[in-house]
Amino acid sequence: MLDQANGKLRTTVLSIQWHSPDIFELCIANPGIAFVPGDCVALYADKQLSRPYSMASAPHEPLLRFLIRRLPGGKLSNFLASLNPGDSISVSPPFGWFRPGQHTTPEETVFLATGTGIAPYLSYLADLRTPAKIRCFYGVQRQPDAFAAPFLRERCEATVALSRERRTGCHYGRVTDLLGKLVLSPQTHIYLCGLDRMIDDATDWLERHGVDRLQIHQEVFFNASSDR
Amino acid sequence: MHHLTDEKWLKAPNGDPRGYIDANRLSELWFHTGTTCNLRCPFCLEGSKPGDNRLNMITFEDALPFIHEALELGVEQFSFTGGEPFVVPGLIKILDSSLDHRPCLVLTNGTEPLMNRLSDLLPLLKKPQRLSFRISLDSPDAATHDAGRGSGNFKKSLRSLQLLTEHGFGVSVARQSRKGEDKASVDQAYQQHFAAIGLPRGTRIVAFPEFHTPGSIVAVPVITEDCMTRYHTSKTRADFMCASSKMVVKKEGRMRVYACTLVDDDPDYDLGGSLKDALLCRIMMKHHRCYSCFAYGASCSER
Repeated sequence: MLDQANGKLRTTVLSIQWHSPDIFELCIANPGIAFVPGDCVALYADKQLSRPYSMASAPHEPLLRFLIRRLPGGKLSNFLASLNPGDSISVSPPFGWFRPGQHTTPEETVFLATGTGIAPYLSYLADLRTPAKIRCFYGVQRQPDAFAAPFLRERCEATVALSRERRTGCHYGRVTDLLGKLVLSPQTHIYLCGLDRMIDDATDWLERHGVDRLQIHQEVFFNASSDR
Repeated sequence: MHHLTDEKWLKAPNGDPRGYIDANRLSELWFHTGTTCNLRCPFCLEGSKPGDNRLNMITFEDALPFIHEALELGVEQFSFTGGEPFVVPGLIKILDSSLDHRPCLVLTNGTEPLMNRLSDLLPLLKKPQRLSFRISLDSPDAATHDAGRGSGNFKKSLRSLQLLTEHGFGVSVARQSRKGEDKASVDQAYQQHFAAIGLPRGTRIVAFPEFHTPGSIVAVPVITEDCMTRYHTSKTRADFMCASSKMVVKKEGRMRVYACTLVDDDPDYDLGGSLKDALLCRIMMKHHRCYSCFAYGASCSER
């Protein structure tokens, strides 16, 4: 329920599951939030300290899941990592400007993500009722970070790029290397979510290859000057 | 609104009657779309950041009654500020309705939220009234702008200005002004950027002084009734924002009318739930940002 005085919702931590040494999934009870894939909420450590996280769960699920990278010295991510089932946490109402798959065309839709930037696509793909022509390029450092790959491969044509190690079945290098595999058409919409460097590089490459800027959709992490 | 008869509202700390403005009309209605933003700029006068809810996000249903009431009162323009208006899901629908009646201006940081919704904005070019955007470019120096707003955002905002112009929207730029600056040379530095991306020569630049974050206690000179006649004329008093515009905000779940775009952190400027009632309220020059209007003619309006 929304506390009108401070504009936040209070809810309960259900679980924390570590996927890799740095990345964990925080699962909380849904305090009545209705959202669309791509939406975020701000998770609060206290009255002031907050950061936005995209929902990785589908809107129809009874809980909210978030993918969180624990940053060295990151006040908020380390606070979240210290939570236990049953703890209380405050969240903001949902908001967002990134809508994966919003512009569906008969042509292929392309999703690009680095790290936990895969979250909005997981939400979208889990919510997808009818098959769509989607290609997903998923960039992480090492194979354990690519924990979402099996689910992605079930739902779309997914390729994993590992930047720090060679593994069979994965591209070795940056995720933006994979852009050259695309057969671009004037109707192709491309969604980019993750680190600003990936988004800048991918946007530059796509524009150089004739993709209309209006068909490039972006969600940048670590963009705002923040509390880490 | 019991405070409208309070001594603290009516009189300066030295006991002199405060300076005031009586609204003479409603030419511009501002909507505050909420303090949620994709950026987290340390200097933000609204204290906006991702997920912030000091001022709630507005919906189409929230805005519609005020659009109608403002039209009855003869409003000439609707303007929108935040937060970042393009993080608000209902914004396109609100603009679509408003543009049937009056020109609209949206203040935006010109980054991903705007760019991601640009294709949704294109149909609005066919509406009866014109849609314009004012994008924040704090400094003509990219590094200075990005130091406050995040790396790479200067380039994105310039690109947004370019794309909006290419598609036929009106654009202007909001910048920060600094004490002692050479205004002409600063504006010239902006015009060089504008020329490089094909913006019309003389694209408007609106400069704002430091407004400080919400709730700041800032020592500024007291504005008395005497100041308002000694240093201002009836014409310049009519140029104060609160003389001809109001702002609607959603606070704690309720739609409220505030005196202008700069005083929503002070409940004394909550003028009630209707524009008609708000226009009857005398606006006392009590807020520290009133001094910016008094001394520098700060106005969010482009009219």
